[in-house]
Amino acid sequence: MEFRWGVRNLRRHPFRTALSIAGIAVASAMLLDMVMLRGGLEASFADLLLVRGYQIRVTPKGTLPLDSEATLPDATGLVATIRSDPGVAGVAPLVATSIYGRRVAGGDSLVTLFGYGIDPRDQGLYQLLRGADLAADDSAGVLLSEASATALGAAIGDTVTLLGVLDPQMAAPAMERRLVVRGVVQWLYDYREQPSVGTVVPLMQRLARTEREDRVSVLLVKAKSDADVEPVVERLRTRLGGAEVNGVADLVRHFQDRMVYFRQLATILGSVSLLVTVLLIGTLLTITVNERLGEIATLRAIGVSRASIVKEVLVEGTALTVVGCALGVALGLVTARYLDEILTSFPGLPATFSFFVPRTPNVVTAILVTLLTGALAGLYPAWLAARAPIAPTLRAEAT
Amino acid sequence: MRRPLCLLVFSLLPLLAPSPAPAQGVPDIAVERRMAAELGLQVGDTLRLGVAPDSLDRLVRVAAIYEPAADPATVLRRELRLRMHLPDLAAMLGQPDRVDRFGVALEPGASADSAARALNQAAFGYRAYPSSRIASESSQTFRVVSRFHRAIAVITIVASAIFLLCIMLLKVEERRMDAAVMRFVGIRRRTIFLALLLEAAVVAVLGSVLGVVIAWASSAATNLYYQRFFDTKLVFSLLTPDIVRFSVLLSLVLGLAAGALAAWRLVRTKPMVLWGRG
Amino acid sequence: MTVLTGRGLEKTYKLESQTVHALRGVDVDVAAGDYVAIVGPSGCGKSTLLQLLGGIDTPSAGRIELLGTRLDTLDDRALTRLRLTKLGFVFQRFHLLPVLNATENVELPMAEAGVAPAERRRRALELLEYVGLRARARHRATQLSGGEMQRVAIARALANRPAVILADEPTGELDAATGREILNLFRRLNGEGTTLVVVTHDDRLAGEAGRVIRMLDGRIEG
Repeated sequence: MEFRWGVRNLRRHPFRTALSIAGIAVASAMLLDMVMLRGGLEASFADLLLVRGYQIRVTPKGTLPLDSEATLPDATGLVATIRSDPGVAGVAPLVATSIYGRRVAGGDSLVTLFGYGIDPRDQGLYQLLRGADLAADDSAGVLLSEASATALGAAIGDTVTLLGVLDPQMAAPAMERRLVVRGVVQWLYDYREQPSVGTVVPLMQRLARTEREDRVSVLLVKAKSDADVEPVVERLRTRLGGAEVNGVADLVRHFQDRMVYFRQLATILGSVSLLVTVLLIGTLLTITVNERLGEIATLRAIGVSRASIVKEVLVEGTALTVVGCALGVALGLVTARYLDEILTSFPGLPATFSFFVPRTPNVVTAILVTLLTGALAGLYPAWLAARAPIAPTLRAEAT
Repeated sequence: MRRPLCLLVFSLLPLLAPSPAPAQGVPDIAVERRMAAELGLQVGDTLRLGVAPDSLDRLVRVAAIYEPAADPATVLRRELRLRMHLPDLAAMLGQPDRVDRFGVALEPGASADSAARALNQAAFGYRAYPSSRIASESSQTFRVVSRFHRAIAVITIVASAIFLLCIMLLKVEERRMDAAVMRFVGIRRRTIFLALLLEAAVVAVLGSVLGVVIAWASSAATNLYYQRFFDTKLVFSLLTPDIVRFSVLLSLVLGLAAGALAAWRLVRTKPMVLWGRG
Repeated sequence: MTVLTGRGLEKTYKLESQTVHALRGVDVDVAAGDYVAIVGPSGCGKSTLLQLLGGIDTPSAGRIELLGTRLDTLDDRALTRLRLTKLGFVFQRFHLLPVLNATENVELPMAEAGVAPAERRRRALELLEYVGLRARARHRATQLSGGEMQRVAIARALANRPAVILADEPTGELDAATGREILNLFRRLNGEGTTLVVVTHDDRLAGEAGRVIRMLDGRIEG
């Protein structure tokens, strides 16, 4: 009976109810977005790191992957050392450098490219979109991104010219190679429209003039199982004193430090949304209770208990919150897409990265928190209603 | 495309090893204040630098401790930097005649765009850009953040407007009996409307003033917090007269609009309905 | 058998800065089957006396017994339960819930008392039939006339088979013709054994009562 009565009371003032529901919808949409933002950053980043299953990164001391131009020497020795660890399933060396290319159609101007040196047998950097992958020692082939294929005017099977270090005084490149385009790939860590190319490691080292010291930018390490990750990280830290060894959890922590502003903003705005929900429901119910004090006093007079009155008021508040929350989830998913489009236009951000990730646990958390907040917001007006004195209220109604 | 050389300096940090013995003919370096504080460095201290953890073979002397210009692009990265004379750094890197970039100062009146074009015509292996273009591209990050803030602000304003309208409606509807009695005794709709609008205006003005005070306080608190958190003099929140004017105007407009709508709904309802007998 | 007793009842309350002595030592007894009318000028304390007898207000002094139970020994929960199961109230302004229909308004006290839905629906329709409103069972309270609303209120008061019906100015908001309908209903109820205590300005209602208590300035006259 309290449920029917509570829900129908909301229909007494439809405009007021609709407006309150709209307010709760916007507040819960904001809360959902902030929950997605807070949880989404780390989740998206961790997903990105693990997309090919490599849980560990080895980089030059004091650096994070691809964060600087620093490199590790003696890559072959390092790979062998790491592979000898019993917990390691694979090691993928990666060279990252700036190189240049000539357009297939010819012309004098050079195209600036981002060059990756990879080992096709063991790589955690790309997914093949079309064409073929590089063979293990294929020093005559190259992989392109969509952007570099467009920039070079190249298709699968075409021959492109890549140039290494440019010497301004000689007005000539230190090295130049003609390579056949084997395939087009999606480079997982590229930002939007990044013109990237990939060759085998030795070739990219020659283009970067680092082959003598056998330098690489980062080593991606795959542990045999998730349980092996932490022990492998500890062992590698001991054995590779001159390198920085980070598991995905460590990298996520570093990332959290860099993204601290967004996490704090998400917390603040999420809290404000909850406060708005509490104020809106609390105020609405307080005013409607005050309007109905005579009715409530009558009900108390005929024997309706305080508990029933409280239940009815809480039902009203919860009903408002449920409807508002349902609309808010839909609205929140739409605004999240819009906000994500803004933030993912950050320069240098991997194109596959998302700030707002609609994971089920996040959505459920936001809904539950909103529902609980809405229910609690009705407590004060419910208490007001329950303690309304019967006789004085009836006296006041009669005057 | 290339990562800035200055980031390479970060990799040197863990390789610094304070050396107890001062030496003659040792190259001078300058370290930034935060680095000096974290490592306990003072002017006159000597350090060993190297490009690899196992080759800290360059002895240097701290000749100065400086406060770098606050740079929002690097504040989040929390890197520690030092400055060396170019030949000393180039020699340490084993690249005696190599730099990342040149800064070119032009004669007064010379156009940066023309100069860049002229340089690029003969360029091989380098490119010239007017500084304004560099500034524009490197501020892209902040433009994204600005857009994000603006989007959040729009959502917040929409939510506030709905909330405001709801509260105004509720408060005005609380006065339905008063309004009914006034209509019974012959007070015109217009008078009641204007009276309610005046109340809404007073609430809007007081609310705006309070809002400005709260904004000023939270802006100050934001700067205090983040300046300490990031150990920087950067200003994170800035309350300009334009922002204050815009916010006050917007809240006045919203408050009056909400009050007007609520008042209009009340005065157009028949008095007997307001009384509860219609 | 005495069902309701009040001894030495006093009630004082504050109205803004003034102290109001609503009752100044009132004794009253109501036996089973009685039809008692309490009359007097406005402000004489009739409604206050009714509210004390119904347990919805507490006396400043004196005691009240309902069916042998002293009301001052009961906590709020027990008092509420007593009102629900032993008393029925009819108010001047009906006070039906506008969002419920006639049947649901009558069902409300039975739902509160834990009566099963089917049983309370059956009884509610039976009571509406009794008050002549079976055809209006599904109408919302706001769709009923004043007289119809008061009859639904009477049906609601009868829902849990109370020992006493307490009515405060039941015809106060009604016209003469509609008031007569209520008069007839009360006569019928009392004729079937229902104990009634009615506060009224209406001479016809007072005239129907078996006993009239006249009040003035918080005291019973005579």
